This record gives sequence, structure tokens and C-alpha cells, in this order.
Amino acid sequence: MNAEILGQVIQNLLSFQTILALFLGVFGGIIIGALPGLSATMAVALLVPVTFGMEPVAGLTMLTAIYTSALYGGSISAILIHTPGTPASAASSLDGYQMTLKGQGAKAIGMATISSMIGGTVSALALLFLAPPLSKISLAFSAPEYFLIAVFGLTIIGSLAAKSMVKGLAAGVIGLLIGAIGVDILTGYPRFTFGSMSLESGIALVPAMIGLFSLSQVMIQAENRGKKRKKISADAMSGKVLPNKKEFKTVWVSILRSSGIGTFVGMLPGAGGDIGSWVGYNEAKRFSKNKEKFGTGYIEGVAAPESANNAVTGGALIPLLTLGIPGSSTTAVLLGGLMIQGLVPGHELFTTHANITYSVIFGFIIASLLLGVIGLLGARFFVKISGVSEKLLAPIIIGLCVVGSYAINNNIFDVWVMVVFGVIGYFMRKTGFHPAPVILGMILGPIAENGLRQSMLMAKTDLLTYYFTRPISVVLIALTVISLFSPLVMKWWEKRNANNLDDGQETKIS
Amino acid sequence: MKKLLSAFMLLGLILLLAACSGDANGTSSDDNGGEGGSDSGSAEGFPDKPINVIVSYSAGGGTDTGARILIPYVEEELGVDMNIINKPGGGGWVGWTELANADPDGYTIGYINTPNLMTGYLDPKYNRDQSLESFAPIANHVTDPGAIAIRPNDDRFSTIEELIEYAKENELTATSTGAGSDDHYASLKLNDKFGTKFKAVHNSGSADSRAAVLGGHVDVLFANVGELATLHKEGEVKIVAVMSKEKSPFLEDVPTLAESGYEDVYSWSARGLAAPAGIDEEKLEILRAAFEKGIKNEEQVEKMGEMGLQVEYLDGEDYDQLLKEDEEGVKALSDLMGW
Repeated sequence: MNAEILGQVIQNLLSFQTILALFLGVFGGIIIGALPGLSATMAVALLVPVTFGMEPVAGLTMLTAIYTSALYGGSISAILIHTPGTPASAASSLDGYQMTLKGQGAKAIGMATISSMIGGTVSALALLFLAPPLSKISLAFSAPEYFLIAVFGLTIIGSLAAKSMVKGLAAGVIGLLIGAIGVDILTGYPRFTFGSMSLESGIALVPAMIGLFSLSQVMIQAENRGKKRKKISADAMSGKVLPNKKEFKTVWVSILRSSGIGTFVGMLPGAGGDIGSWVGYNEAKRFSKNKEKFGTGYIEGVAAPESANNAVTGGALIPLLTLGIPGSSTTAVLLGGLMIQGLVPGHELFTTHANITYSVIFGFIIASLLLGVIGLLGARFFVKISGVSEKLLAPIIIGLCVVGSYAINNNIFDVWVMVVFGVIGYFMRKTGFHPAPVILGMILGPIAENGLRQSMLMAKTDLLTYYFTRPISVVLIALTVISLFSPLVMKWWEKRNANNLDDGQETKIS
Repeated sequence: MKKLLSAFMLLGLILLLAACSGDANGTSSDDNGGEGGSDSGSAEGFPDKPINVIVSYSAGGGTDTGARILIPYVEEELGVDMNIINKPGGGGWVGWTELANADPDGYTIGYINTPNLMTGYLDPKYNRDQSLESFAPIANHVTDPGAIAIRPNDDRFSTIEELIEYAKENELTATSTGAGSDDHYASLKLNDKFGTKFKAVHNSGSADSRAAVLGGHVDVLFANVGELATLHKEGEVKIVAVMSKEKSPFLEDVPTLAESGYEDVYSWSARGLAAPAGIDEEKLEILRAAFEKGIKNEEQVEKMGEMGLQVEYLDGEDYDQLLKEDEEGVKALSDLMGW
């Protein structure tokens, strides 16, 4: 980046439209995130069609601002009423809600705001410094690498399948099969379309996502109708919002660690804020001196997942901007926002369109900071949002589901896709399946398939030699193997340590 | 009270979103424009309400860009609003089916693209009901000739002659934006006529094609002039031949295939406008006259040129002729496609 581009960037960012977009994005993102049932993905999906008529910088800045602030907004309801506003804030509800019960709700929200702000800013800086060099080598990535990245991403299903590995894998395979619907670009043959024209372009990702996550969530919540709802107690928000110095000292290491973890998880293809926040929480617990305090309303248990889930955003934008591979399901929707502006991911974004790209990245850094300011100033206001009655909320969310899935392509068929996936999502949740692996399969399946089949055409020697003579491929194969076997090795290691410990204790007793 | 307030705020948010998304796409009315179409027979006073223009590719693509440049000029001629509606999917057939099935009252028209349109209804795998007969051509807008490009530092070949000679002896990979695309046909036709051994690697768009060749993963870049002109000028790729009958005005230094001694292989993608078949003749004439003025507008031609898009106006009759030629061209290749 040179001085000339920097000048243009500053000019772009100071335009009225961009500044307005930033404020609207952060404010709106927090509100949508705070409403249970509306995720960051949904927020971005709703806004993509709106950005069509906007200047590219303003439009894209608004989308990234919404992305990061919706992830933060989700924690408000997670902490105060134990209902995560977005799946990514589920981890924050563990200690956050306990803090609320202890009358420290205000402090928990304050901690969450500061952690989110730091996490987001750290990852935005990572984006600024990592994406340009990566974009330079992005031309070295071709079909074989895309195939391997997708396979690597699919190994993450293991960590998504929290309770049952079999169910997680089954959901992933269902996603892969859904991803196979549509015209095969290599032969032009329509697959699984049953003669329907609308299915020829495949199942659109955004309506499927809205159905699986938002509509099914409303259906689950509707079951609780009539049951007594958790109310925000009057004193939940009393007391100081800002944590004191001593508390800061205990959490800052955790915040920085989680920011790093979140950025890294975000870079993994398809893995989003929900994974990032759990990994951040678990690692904070592992390294903490006060392990036993986690889950009882411990402030570190709020700081760690919150900084991690916001750090995911910047990380997830790295593979999106450089390779066109979404780092999370929300960035898969953002890809559509880029395309609408005629911006194709890859090294052209950092050369031909450098002034737009850098403006968006700087806008994203500002949005992460702005989120902290607006969050702290408006905390008492946003809290009220999470208290909106379900009677009002359910029809509003359903309305937004319909508008959002229609608006993305102006296609009524997409609304039916959303409804069908809503029903599928409901039954999946009821039977203990998680919808996230389905989306992962849908995003990564087509990338893997096309990558493999294109590389078969491109290989002039046999396929294995082709893959093993490409340095980046070899690295990716190694990463995939590590990702697959590290849980087994870890388990074995822990078991061995545990055994040693037992032995030690036994000898003591005897 | 506060609950009520937040409820109102949410409602406002929804309305705002709904309104914005409607405005942004320039339409909130029925896509078919079919309501009130009872007078579809009479041309008197036509047009007196907005006309919908279906673009069968997503916003921001080549067809969409061209449409958005042209339409304001046609609006001026017709004196009514025209809404561009993107109906991407099925290689263009989601939009084309809707166009073919629309009420032929003149208020729904759309872009059709060759040769993708022909591939769609000629390929027996799809079993489509439509054919050229389903559309009434209005005018051709853009003809984007095919181009063959290589890496400037490729030491195996540096001209079209060297490339073809090399490809006769050795298998070379070639980019293609999907089975049955114009890029795909171009390499098939070369293989057929001159015995070259190009192997098409299909991807989903010309941006992928460019990256695959620039990165050294695929040998030869088959694309359209509009997609390569800038890269050629910057020296990132070298266009060795264009597959049109005459030189491209954007690439004065590049020979045509025929000039280099390889005749009878032409490739282009033509984008023009059509109404559903069965439209009233008088209405069709009104539309044709308006589009003629719009497409011939100097300012419009200049703006298109800036995007590397070559405006080639053809009136309804000539356009019809071009479509039929393209259809014959695709039929002649059905063996190569394995139909």
C-alpha cells in the first residue's frame, strides 16, 4: 500500500455515506444480534440487497460492521437472560448469566463489550497485515489446493459435533449431498433437480442458512409458549459497567490469547464464531489459575469467549478476500455482497481495487472500536432489546426470514427453500443433530468437488505425484492429517498422564 | 410502555429493510408485469407503465453491467421506467424460462445470451420446452468476441502459430467457463478443425480462468475480449488472437485467427434483447425503435467501451439471422458435445 492509496482510503472513509453506514451498521448489528433467533449471518443476509445501491466502500463497510457488532450483540441476551442471541455467544452465557444472578450483570456486559472490542480490533489488524502478503501468493493456489483446503475445513466437523460424532458426521454428509444439487459445471448435467428449473442453480446457501438457524430457532422457542419466561431482574443492570483495574489484570492475558485463537479459527474455512468462542473459553479455562471458578460467574469466563468470537470476524475475512473461500458461514453471505459490487476475491482486490479493499479493512478497524464506544454508552438501552416479548419477537423474526431469503435473489423459490430448511432444522435440533455441519458441507462440498475434478484434468502425470509435487498442497495435506489425528493423540496423552497420576497416588497410599 | 417503544422500533426497522431492498433493486411490483395485461392486444398508448427487463445473470456480471449502462437511454426514448430484474441460475435458464413464459404484453422483456441459450435448449439432457421460436428478437446490443491468451513469459510459444503447432503435438489445458460455454466451444472447434489437443478445464467464471492461467496452473486462457483487454494492456497476459471476423477496436495489435491462417473458427458471445413470442407487432416495433436509438447513442457506446464491451447494433431482422446462425453453429458441434 502506498501513500496515494492511503490518501484515497482516508477520502473514502470521510465521506458522509461511509460514516453513516458505519454508525448504522454498528447500531443495527448490536440490535439484531441482541434479539434471540437472529444471528450475524441473518443480519448480513438482510442487508446485502440494501447495499446494492450504495457506494462499494460504504456498502461493504456497513456489512462488516454489522457482522462484528451482531456477534457482540448476541452476548447481551446470553448474559442477561441466558438465551444466546447468536450461536456464537452460547459460551458467554455460562459465566455471564451466573454473574447476572449474582447482581453483576452490568459488569458482565461491560467486560463483554471491552473484550469484543479488543478481539475485533486485534483480528482487524491481523487482516490488514496478513491479507496483502497472502493475496500475493494466492495465484499459487489452484484446483488441488482448493480441494485440500475444503477437505481440511471438513475435518472441523469433528469439533462441531459436540455430543455425538456419528450425528455430526451424518449432518456433514447431508450437507455435502445438498451441495451436489444443481448443474454439474464440468459436464453441464443437471443433478438431483427432478426436472425443476429452480433447482438447477442448486440450493441457495443464504435461504438454507436462514431456515436452519433462524426459523427453526423460532419454532423451538414457540414450544416454550406459556412457560414462564426469564425476566431481567430490576437490579441486573445496576452497578458499574466498567470493570475495575484488578479485574482487568486477571483477564488481559485471556483476552489476548482468545483474540489470537479467534483470528486463527476464523481463518479456517467454514469455522465461525460458535467454534471460536468455545475454543477460546476452553483454552482460558485450561490456562487459568482459577479453573474451578469457571461456570460460577467468573469474569474471565466472559472475557475469553467474547474476545474470541469477535476475533473470528477479521480472521474469517482473510481467506474470503484472498482466495474467495469463506472463513465462516457469515462470510459466505458477505461473498455475495462483494460480487454484487463487481469485486472478485483474489489478488485483483489488492491491486486493481486496492483503494476499495483497504478502505473496507480500515473501516472494519474503526467499526470494531466504535462497537466498544457505542456498546458502553448504550449498554442500558440495548439491554431492553433482549427483553422484548417472544409474542412480538416470533412474528418479527419470521417476517425477516421471509424478506431476507426473498431479497437476496428476488426469488420466491428461495422463500420455500427457507421454509423447508426451517422444518428440517427443527427436527434436527429435536433429534440432537447440529445444523452447523450441514452448512459446512454445503459451502465446502462444491469447492472440494470442483477442485478435485479440475485437478484431475490439470494433472499431466498421475494425480498423487501431481499433488505431492506442489509445496502448498503438501502443507495442506499435513495440516489435514494433524487436524484429524490430534484429538486421538491428545486423548491418549491425557489418559497416560492421568494413569501416571493415579499410579503416583496409589504408591502414596500404600 | 418501553416494550411498546421497542416493538415500534423493530417494526420500523422491518419496514425500512423491506423498502430499501425494494428500492435497491428498482422493483417492488409483480415480476411478470402481468397484472392489468388484459389489453395485451392493443398497442395504443404503449407503453404507459414500467417495463421489466430480466437479466439472467447475477448483478455485477458482464450482461448486467451492459444492461445497466444501456437502459437509462432507452427509458428516455420510451418515457417510462424500466426495472432491471436479476434472475440468475441454471446457466441463465431460470430467467429465460420466465421470459419465455411471461405475458407477451410488451411489459416484460429480457436479455438473451448466445451460445448459452442454444446449448440450453438443444442439449437433450435438459428436456426443455423452449426454442428460438419462444422469443421475439428486439435488437442485439453487445458482441464480445472470443480471445485466446497466454502467459507473456511462456517459453513454449509466443504467437498463435506457435501455440497451435505446439498444441497439435502436445496436450494443453484450456480454461472454460462451463460445459457448453462459448469458451468451451472455441477450444472444441480448434481441436476439430486443426487437430489441436486442448483439454477444457471448466470453472464457474472468467475470474477463475484468469487466476488459473496467471498462476501457471492452466496453459491457455480462453475468454472474451471484454474480460481480457485490461490485463493485456497491463502486460499480465498476452492475447495472441481474437476469434472475430474483424480485429477488435480495443486490440488493434492483435490478429484475428483467420488472418493468422486459421480460418473458419469464430467465437463470440452476443447479448441482445428479446420479448416473449406472440407480442403484438406494433408494440415490438415501438420497442425496436427505442432500443435502436438507445444502442446507437454515442455516449452509451463510449461508456460501454470503457468497460471493454463492444457495442454492435443489429436490428430485429439481422439479430434474428445471427441467432439462427449461432443455433446452426451449436447444432454442428453436437457430436463434439456427445449429445
